[in-house]
Amino acid sequence: MRTFDVTVIGGGPAGLAAAISAEKEGARVLLIEREARLGGVLKQCIHDGFGVIRFGEKLSGCEYGARFIKELEKTSVEVSCLTFASKIEKTEEGFLLTLIKRSGLEEISTKTIVLATGCRERTAKQVSIHGSRPAGVFTAGTAQYYLNVMGQMPGKRCVILGSGDIGLIMARRLTLEGAEVLGVYEAKPTPSGLMRNIYQCLNDFEIPLHLSHTVTRVHGDGRVCGVTTAKVDEKMQPIAGTEEYIECDTLILSVGLIPENELAEMLGVKLDPSTKGALCDQLYMTMTDGVFSCGNALHVNDLADYVSESGDEAGKNAARYAAHKRELAEVHFDRNFLYVVPQRIDLTDKSKPAVFFFRSSEERKKTRVRLLLNGTEILKKTYQNLRPPEMERLSVDLSALPLEASSKLEFVMEELPS
Amino acid sequence: MDPRQKELLKRFGSNVTLEEKEGCVYLSGEVSSWEDAVSAGQLCAKSGSKTHVVNDIRVSGLEMKETKIPRFTDDAIDGKRPDVLIIGAGVVGCAIARELSKWKLDVLLVEKEYDVALHASSRNDGMVHPGIDIHPGLVKKKLNNRGNRMYTRICSELNVPFDRCGQFLCFDRKNILPILYMTLPYWLLTGVGATRVHTYDSLRKKEPDVSPEVKCALEFKRAGIVCPYGLTIAYAENAVQNGVKLSLDTAVLKMKLVDGRIKAVKTNRGTVFPKLVINAAGVFAEDIAEMAGDRFFSIHPRKGTNSILDRKARRFVNTTYSLMGTQSKDEHTKGGGVVGTVDGNVLVGPDAIETPDKENFDTDAKSIKNTFLRHSQVAPWLKSGDIITYFTGVRAPTYEEDFIVEPGRRTKNLLHAAGIQSPGLTAAPAIGEKIAKLAIKKLKKTGRVEKNAAFDPVRVPILRPSEMSKAERAALIEREPDYGEIVCRCEEVSRGEIIAALHRPVPCATVDGVKRRVRPGMGRCQGGFCGPLVLKLISQNLDIPEEKVRKGTQDSELLFGPKGAAL
Repeated sequence: MRTFDVTVIGGGPAGLAAAISAEKEGARVLLIEREARLGGVLKQCIHDGFGVIRFGEKLSGCEYGARFIKELEKTSVEVSCLTFASKIEKTEEGFLLTLIKRSGLEEISTKTIVLATGCRERTAKQVSIHGSRPAGVFTAGTAQYYLNVMGQMPGKRCVILGSGDIGLIMARRLTLEGAEVLGVYEAKPTPSGLMRNIYQCLNDFEIPLHLSHTVTRVHGDGRVCGVTTAKVDEKMQPIAGTEEYIECDTLILSVGLIPENELAEMLGVKLDPSTKGALCDQLYMTMTDGVFSCGNALHVNDLADYVSESGDEAGKNAARYAAHKRELAEVHFDRNFLYVVPQRIDLTDKSKPAVFFFRSSEERKKTRVRLLLNGTEILKKTYQNLRPPEMERLSVDLSALPLEASSKLEFVMEELPS
Repeated sequence: MDPRQKELLKRFGSNVTLEEKEGCVYLSGEVSSWEDAVSAGQLCAKSGSKTHVVNDIRVSGLEMKETKIPRFTDDAIDGKRPDVLIIGAGVVGCAIARELSKWKLDVLLVEKEYDVALHASSRNDGMVHPGIDIHPGLVKKKLNNRGNRMYTRICSELNVPFDRCGQFLCFDRKNILPILYMTLPYWLLTGVGATRVHTYDSLRKKEPDVSPEVKCALEFKRAGIVCPYGLTIAYAENAVQNGVKLSLDTAVLKMKLVDGRIKAVKTNRGTVFPKLVINAAGVFAEDIAEMAGDRFFSIHPRKGTNSILDRKARRFVNTTYSLMGTQSKDEHTKGGGVVGTVDGNVLVGPDAIETPDKENFDTDAKSIKNTFLRHSQVAPWLKSGDIITYFTGVRAPTYEEDFIVEPGRRTKNLLHAAGIQSPGLTAAPAIGEKIAKLAIKKLKKTGRVEKNAAFDPVRVPILRPSEMSKAERAALIEREPDYGEIVCRCEEVSRGEIIAALHRPVPCATVDGVKRRVRPGMGRCQGGFCGPLVLKLISQNLDIPEEKVRKGTQDSELLFGPKGAAL
């Protein structure tokens, strides 16, 4: 049986970075990818905006991925595409993985695992869309695959539900290919995607954005022939009498992403109900020793650059991990935060600043975020505004802090008069 | 005056009239709503009566939807002279076809849809009922009991997963316990089979996650679960393998009768001249009966919606359970409750709503909300967040709420398997047997009918590597590497399985057809990742351009063609 120090599951932006950084630490690394080619969702992201933070330049998703793949080729990382991790079992040495690939069923042993499995899209049924079940209802990512990878038009007259980034990007993309995008409907009173995408993908193409509106019903026997939209109240419930029928042949959904953690669950990795990803410490280790999580499998990121950053760290730390016993302190935060990642701090390694990512639970104007240790402020930062779609990053130097397992480390948020 | 007419007069004034003739109760007139038309029918019907209500009451302003039929015509079956023509490839039609394939007969099975099992046979909860709430005098009681007993053998021959898991009927009052013990002889007497009374503790050993409010329960051990469309497809495949001709996309349009016999049956794919016709047309059984000059009953469609929950919820259900009194307001719905499926999901539902539209498969938020509310009483763990999808089916009851499994009354070369609603799935093997017996009897009157010595009862299933042992799976992948390439990761379906599904005895060329056979897209991502891959495999293997690959029914092409081409 082949053995590895680090096995990275998933060859997207997180997994690529994790494999490269683990190998740099001298580990014997296996990277498995279920698709035929590396890159994950980057392969279908032909729009730009990738790499601004990491490379200081604007790249397409494909270019961004290619940079990592090129770097990976220089390493000794073993890459196995069209490979599916069917089963993971805990063993004394680490983990036993059952891999399914065209060349056969292989069991491998690995000391650590980096879960870089990305996320999946929420579907029509999960946002309670009713009516018939015709062809022409796609999630934005699937529509993007049809158009950008297969070169096929998934729609001609499209309605988009949800203002998530992929939906906004697809609104522009479909328009550029000659399709008609009749409008983007968002049940929330504020857009879900990045502001830059609202301007570049909708406003520039005069595609209307209908806030506080949703699609309640799909019509059509074979193909979609129309949808019913309605205004929603504060509880996002459709308001009777506001229904409108819109003739279209396609409904595209961009209504949220869900971290993929089926493998994590197989290992009993503890998940955080708000991120739907694993609970982890600042080294990206989950509450299961030897299992690391990064990228969108950990929490849904807004930028691929952050995904890669967490991959870098998870890969490196997985390589360094040598069954040392962790000592964890909990990270608390008040209700103004949607979530904070990491949720724990490993006290045995405070050499490097811990990088926290958080999202505000709602839109705020000028806001101060403070980090308290047992009630004493150790850091503060003021933001001109905070929006849930946009992730914030905070680096905190822990080395000099009297941090113990019993300490209360807490993030608090307070809105300031503007 | 007829007391029923009196009652009609009271409810609907002089708008509705009743006439009893030729062993039927004919209703005519006009009312203001579909509910009224149905309740007039119900008011005049006697449960299980052989005198059927034929309901011709119109609803003012209501335009009845036309039956959806294939738009194309050809001559694929034109001029054929089969011994038997079966109309409808649902579970009943396919079970009949398979039974008849045990004989040396020319059997033609026609179905208006693009695949088998597209109506009620794929749109139900897959319960194999013990028959607890069916009146012992009814036709369906006998067929249910017989069908239930046939399941183990049928499913093993056809290689279809079947689990006789049992069913718990729960009660929220402790003082009912002694009464439950007193019911035990009744279950034995009525053929329900092994039944056990459970106290609070013994129930929890079997189903630890039922609500704490449940105080005791009855366990019916003969209850089981099966994948209803999986069984139908298997029946159809085995029938075809044994010589039955299946013609899909074939709608019966008209029949020509001479001297009380069907001479010719016109379809969109040609006219055929069968010796005997079997009506297994589900919600359309009344329409077929009318074409055949034998309309002595009416069907009033009743829809029901089920939610499908993520595999994660399966740990709360070992079998199937429901709380007494919450199954459904409508007493004619047998199942209901939470059902753990053979595929590892959980079903919640169904409800029961009368509808004039026989093909109304729309779902509504209200149905989902109501069934969740109702079944949370027994399953407090139900979370709408676990729903991965939902579906609606339309039942085909008569007003007498019993099955009609008998020869035509006015037309000689006709057999009916009509009014088949719940527990139709359970009864299907027995209906197949009974109709085949009647058919052979009729055919023997005009000539010799021989056994088909070549009949092979065993259907070879599509391999399912994810359920094999590691050694078996490794050996398979070594032989056929396509089984080592996973296309659908939620359900762990390989390329090999998908390609196999495209080359079975019953043709399949659609994304949904593949989904029903080997499950890609059935999981939590609902085909988000594998949908395009399945589409490509269909395109490559069957040589269909990508933009011509359909989701399912006609006009359901998924793509509009290469980008850059004129839109």
